[in-house]
Amino acid sequence: MATVTPALWRRWGPWALGLVGALAALGLQTQLYTGQVRTVATIFMFVALALSWNLIGGYTGYASFGQVVFFGLGGYFAAVTMTHLHWSFWVALPLAGLAAAAYAVVIGIPLLRLRGHYFAIATLGVAEGTREVVINLDGLTGGGGGITVPTVGAAAATKYLGNDGFYLVYLALAVLALLITGLVSRSKFGFAMRAIHQDEDAAAAVGINTTRTKVLTFALSGLLTGLVGATYAFQQVTIYPERLFDVEITVLMVVMVVIGGSGTVLGPIIGAVALQFLSEWLRQNYTTVHTLLLGIIIIIAVILLPQGLVNYLREARRNGDYSLLANVRRYRL
Amino acid sequence: MKTSRILATATIAAVSVALTGCGSKGEAGGDAGASSGTLTIGASISLTGKTAREGVLTQEGYQLCQEKVNAKGGVKVGDKMLKLDIKYQDDTSKPDTAASLVDQFNDQGIKLILGSYGSANTEAQAAVIERNNQVMVDSSGADNNIFAKGYKRTFGVLSPATEYAASIVKAVAELASPKPTSVVVLSADDGFSKRAADGAAKAAKDLGFTVLETQYFPNGATDVSASLNKVKASNPDVIIGSVHLAEGVAIIKQAKELGVVPKVFGETVAPPTPDFVTTLGKDAEGVLGSSQWTKSAAGSDDYFGTAKQYDADIQAKFKHEAGYHNAEASAACLAFVLAIQKAGSTDANKVRDALAALDAPSFFAQLKFDAVGMNSSKPMSVIQIQGGKQVTVWPKASAEAALIWPGTTK
Amino acid sequence: MAQGLRRSRTHLAWNDQVTGFLQATVYGLLQGGLLALVAVGFSLVWGVMNVVNLSHGAFVVLGAYVGWQLNISLGLDPFLGMVIVALVLFCIGYAVQRFLINLVVNGPIFITLLLTFGLELLLVQGMNIVFTANYQSIPTSYAGNAIVLGGIQVPLGRLLAFLLAVGITVLLVKVMANTRIGMSIMATGMDRGAARLMGIRARHVYALTFGIATALAGMAGTMVGTVGTFNPAAAGGFTLLSFVIAVLGGLGNMYGAMVGGLLMGLVQAWGGYYLSGTWVNALAFLVLVIVLMFRPSGLVGKAFYAARVEV
Repeated sequence: MATVTPALWRRWGPWALGLVGALAALGLQTQLYTGQVRTVATIFMFVALALSWNLIGGYTGYASFGQVVFFGLGGYFAAVTMTHLHWSFWVALPLAGLAAAAYAVVIGIPLLRLRGHYFAIATLGVAEGTREVVINLDGLTGGGGGITVPTVGAAAATKYLGNDGFYLVYLALAVLALLITGLVSRSKFGFAMRAIHQDEDAAAAVGINTTRTKVLTFALSGLLTGLVGATYAFQQVTIYPERLFDVEITVLMVVMVVIGGSGTVLGPIIGAVALQFLSEWLRQNYTTVHTLLLGIIIIIAVILLPQGLVNYLREARRNGDYSLLANVRRYRL
Repeated sequence: MKTSRILATATIAAVSVALTGCGSKGEAGGDAGASSGTLTIGASISLTGKTAREGVLTQEGYQLCQEKVNAKGGVKVGDKMLKLDIKYQDDTSKPDTAASLVDQFNDQGIKLILGSYGSANTEAQAAVIERNNQVMVDSSGADNNIFAKGYKRTFGVLSPATEYAASIVKAVAELASPKPTSVVVLSADDGFSKRAADGAAKAAKDLGFTVLETQYFPNGATDVSASLNKVKASNPDVIIGSVHLAEGVAIIKQAKELGVVPKVFGETVAPPTPDFVTTLGKDAEGVLGSSQWTKSAAGSDDYFGTAKQYDADIQAKFKHEAGYHNAEASAACLAFVLAIQKAGSTDANKVRDALAALDAPSFFAQLKFDAVGMNSSKPMSVIQIQGGKQVTVWPKASAEAALIWPGTTK
Repeated sequence: MAQGLRRSRTHLAWNDQVTGFLQATVYGLLQGGLLALVAVGFSLVWGVMNVVNLSHGAFVVLGAYVGWQLNISLGLDPFLGMVIVALVLFCIGYAVQRFLINLVVNGPIFITLLLTFGLELLLVQGMNIVFTANYQSIPTSYAGNAIVLGGIQVPLGRLLAFLLAVGITVLLVKVMANTRIGMSIMATGMDRGAARLMGIRARHVYALTFGIATALAGMAGTMVGTVGTFNPAAAGGFTLLSFVIAVLGGLGNMYGAMVGGLLMGLVQAWGGYYLSGTWVNALAFLVLVIVLMFRPSGLVGKAFYAARVEV
C-alpha cells in the first residue's frame, strides 16, 4: 500500500516556524534592557525544562515528580567540577548533562517498573533523598552552606557570561529541547512513547520494547534537564541544595506542560512562556498579593481548559465548537 | 498557497516581536529621579515564603527610616533636599529571585540597594551588585563568607555570624555563678548557623568549658528531638542553639517534653523576636539570646534619637516591641542617608567611597566598616527573657538587669 | 563524623543507651501517629477519587489557624475546639470539591493536580494576608508536660494526639465498612460509573469524601498547633509529608496512613538517634524508595488502586 506523503508545508512548516521563532528571540535581545534580558532568559530556561518534562510525562505518560533531581545533579556536577577541578564551563556543561542522563538510567531501570501515581512518588522520593545526600557530602558540595563557582581571578576557568551570555545559552538549550521534541514526536520512537502512554500492555504485545523506550526517554529528559541545571548553577554563582533540588521547580514544570497541553510540541512552550511571564508581571505590579492572584488565574484556566490550551484548540477545530462552557461541561463530573 | 501564507504571518510576527520594546538597550536614566526631587533606593525583601516574617520586620525598619528622614525634609544632596523613596519588591525568600531583582532595579537606574533578608539572599545579591557597579548596604546578612570574596561594593551594618553564639558563651562565662562546666551546641546545617556554631564552640574551648560534640539537624526542622535525646544522657550545663526561629522554638518545647533540663538555654536569632515569647509563653523564661541590638544600646543620632526612642516609635507605628531585625534595617537605611549626605551626590561610586569612610554614631551602634565591608567592631548584646520581656544582661556596661541563674527551673 | 559519634557514645553507660533508644522509639511512635493523622485525609481522597490534592497541607495549616483563633477568642481548649474546627473545615472542603474540583475530575490525569496547585497558592497567600506570617502556637497548660514511665518521658500533648489519631483511624475504618455513606464512598471509588448506575449521587459523594478529608486535616492541624508551631509557609511541608506517608502505607486501605505514619516516625527517630541529625530525611526517602521497590502498592495497599483507568 502506497504511503501518503503529507504536503510540503505540513512537513516543513513547523521547522520553518521554529527557525523564525529562534531568530525572533535573537532579535528580541537587542531590544531589551539588561534586567529584562535576565527575565526573558529565565523564560527560556523554563521552556527548556517544560519540554524536557514533556518527553517523559507528556508523551510517555510517566509523570516524574522528581524531575528536579536531574536539574540539581547537573547543577552540582558543574559547580563541583568547576570549583574543585577548575574545569571550563564549556567542558562541564555537556558532561553534567551526561551525568544526569546516566543517573536517569540508573534510577529509571528499577523505578520505571512502577505505574501511575506510584512512579510519581518514587521519583519524588529519589529527588528528595538525593538532595539530602548532597547536603551531607559537605566536604565536596559545601552542604547546607552552599558552593560558590569561581568567577573572578585566577581560579575562574571561564569568564562569567553575564546576562547577555546566559540569554544565548538558555535560548540554545530551549532550541535544542524543541529540536529533540520535534524530531522525537515525528519518529518511530515517538510513536512507541505514545503507544506506551495509551496502553502499555498492548504496546508490548505489538512488539515495542517498553523498558528500553521508557529508559531512553527518561535518560533524554534527564539529559536536557541536567544541561539546564548546569547553566543555572553557573548563572547563580552560589548555589544551595534547597534551591537546586526544590520540588517547586518540578511542580512548575508539570503545571506549565499541563496548562499548555501535554504531549504536544507547542504546549510546553506556550505554558512556560505564559506562566512565567504572568508570575513575573504579577510579582512586579501586585507586590503583596501576587501569589494569590496567580492561584486564582491558574484555577480559572484549569477549569476552562482542563486539557491544556493546545489540545483544546485542536479539539475545538475538529469539532467546530469553540465554546468554553461546552468544554467545561465535557470534563465535569 | 498555504505555505506562503504561513511564512508571511510568521515573518510579520517575528518582525513585530523584534520591534516591540523599541528603544535603546542598556540602562535607563541614571540619576535615580534626582531631577524630580526624590531619591529612590531599591529594596528586595521576602514578603512571602519561608522568611516572610523576618522580611516584614525588615521592611518595617526601612519604612520607619523613610518616615523619619522625610520628616526632617529629606536627604540633603549638595544644596537640594530630596525626598527619600524606597521601592520594594518581593523576592519570595529565594536567593535567585533576590539577585534577579537587583538586575531589574539596575535597569530602572536604581543603583543604591538595601539588602534582602538573610545571608543566602544577601550573598546572591552581593555578586550582582559587584558586577553592575551598584552599591548595597546589607542589613541582615551576617555570614562572614559574604565579605570574604573580595567584594568592594557591599557594606554590612551588623556584627558577623561568628559572634552570634560566641557572645552568649562569653556572657555565661562572665556572669554565671557558680560557673557551669559543660557546653553543647545544637545547630541547623545552613552556612550561617554553622559559622555561628563554630564560633561558639571555639569561644567555649578558649574559656575553659568542656565542649561536647556539636549536633546538627536540617535547616527549618520542627522536630529536633533526636539531637536533644542524644545529648540528654551527657547532662550538659549549657545548651546553645545556633538556629532560626522555628528550630529555636522547637528546642525549648521538645526539651521540656523530653525532660532535658540544662542550667540555661541560649539561642541565636529566636529569643529576640516577638514570636518567641508569644509561642512559648512561660517556657521562654530564662532563655538567653544574642541580639544585634537591644533597647538599652548606647548611642544616638539625629533621626532616630536613642534606642529607647526607637523602640517607642516602632511600638507606636507597628504595635509590637522593636526587635533587632527592625533596628538593623533602619540602621542600614541610615548608613545610606549619612553617606549620601557626606558625598553630596547620589552617584554610586561617590556613595560607595563615602560608605567606606563612614564613622558615625547611631541608635543602633557605631556605623563603621572595616576593610572588607563588615562592621566587625560592633559588639553583640546578650538578652534574657525575664517576665516575658527581653532584658539586656551583657555586656555589663549596658545591662538592664542581672542574669537570672540558673535560667531554667526544674 | 563517625569517629565523633563513637567518642560520644562510648561515654554513655549501657543503661543510658537503652533509655535513649526506648525514648527515641516512644517519641517516634507518638510523632508517627500525629503524622498519620495529617496524611489520612490525603490518602482517602487519593484512594477514593484518584485526586492528588496539592493543597492538603494548606488545609492542615488552616485547621491550625481556626483552632488557634477559637483559643484566642473563646478561650476554647484545642482538643475540644477540634470538633468545631472539623465542622468548619468539612463545610469548606465540601464546597471546594462540589463547586471547584468536580468541574475537572473527568479531565486528563494530573489536571486536578493543577487545580489544587492553584488552590494552594490561594490558600497560603490568603492566610498570609489574614493571619500574617507570624509563627503561632496554641498554648495549653498541659501539653508540654510529660508522664514519666521508668525513665522514659511521654509528652502529654503528643500522647493525646496519638490516641486521637488511632481512635479516628479506627472510627474511619468502621464508618467506611459498616455505614451506607461509607460504603457508597468506597463503591464510588472502585467504579464510579457502576456506582452511579446503582443510584449513588457521585457528585455528592465526592464532595462528602473531600469534606471528610479536610475535616481530618483540620483536626490534625489543631493538634500540630498544640505541640509545635506553624505559619502559612509550613503548608508545603505537610503536603510533601502526606504524599510520602500515603504511598508508604498504600492506598485503598484505611489503615495505610497509620502504618505509613508510624513507620516514618520510627525511621526518623531511630535514624536521628544513631546517625547525625542531618541524615534523617535522606533515610526517610531511602526507606520510601525501598518499600516501593519491593511492595509497589505500599505496605498494606491494594494493588488495584495503583493504575486505575479513569471512567
